[in-house]
Amino acid sequence: MNNYRILPHEARVNVTWRGQNGDLLEPVPYDASDREIKEWVAEALAGDSVAGIRTRGRVDLQNFVVDRFPAGVNAPHNRIFLRPKTPFG
Amino acid sequence: MLETAALIGAAGDVLHWHAPVGRTVVSLPDSRALWETMWELRDQLVGVAHTHPGVGAPAPSGTDLTTFDACELGLGVRLRWWIATGDQLRCFVWRGPYSLDYERVPLLVEQPPWLDELRARSGFTPDGPGVAKSITENLTP
Repeated sequence: MNNYRILPHEARVNVTWRGQNGDLLEPVPYDASDREIKEWVAEALAGDSVAGIRTRGRVDLQNFVVDRFPAGVNAPHNRIFLRPKTPFG
Repeated sequence: MLETAALIGAAGDVLHWHAPVGRTVVSLPDSRALWETMWELRDQLVGVAHTHPGVGAPAPSGTDLTTFDACELGLGVRLRWWIATGDQLRCFVWRGPYSLDYERVPLLVEQPPWLDELRARSGFTPDGPGVAKSITENLTP
């Protein structure tokens, strides 16, 4: 849990990593690029600063997908989720 | 024929069938729903099976390998990755040292109980010649 107020142009970021799930402490701009979001999350994971996630080993989000969900009836603020990609070829 | 996947549990049972809108004869699209299901079932999940078109020895594509790696990084566990064609089944696991170093391993069960249904849901016909026919049909506009 954190105390940052999330502004309308910002989003809370959630990531699933090595069987753990947590939110970044600070919100990010909702319109940040996927690349920027991955860089911020990778940096946070590497620094063990994502609540609920203990990082060990390499942090590689290259094959993760950024999903964006705007604020609405069921969510008071924008949400961004980082999750593994799942296509098969 | 359309590619299809199945999440496989520890007892060799199918936890979930995956045949999403947008699948083709050569691909399954990215799916948040599939990831959420894998996450929900992570305590039971031991592997994922999917089909490739045609017959002969299956091998993972580049897309397959990066998906294997991403899902294992998300779940925090290694999985078994089966690929079935119309007449063969192979299983791949990560052996390292690099992130995409997946190697074929012997099948623990030559004919898993889910294999026939996986092929049927993919549109393979039981007899060999029908396999090639179904691929041709799906490629025709």
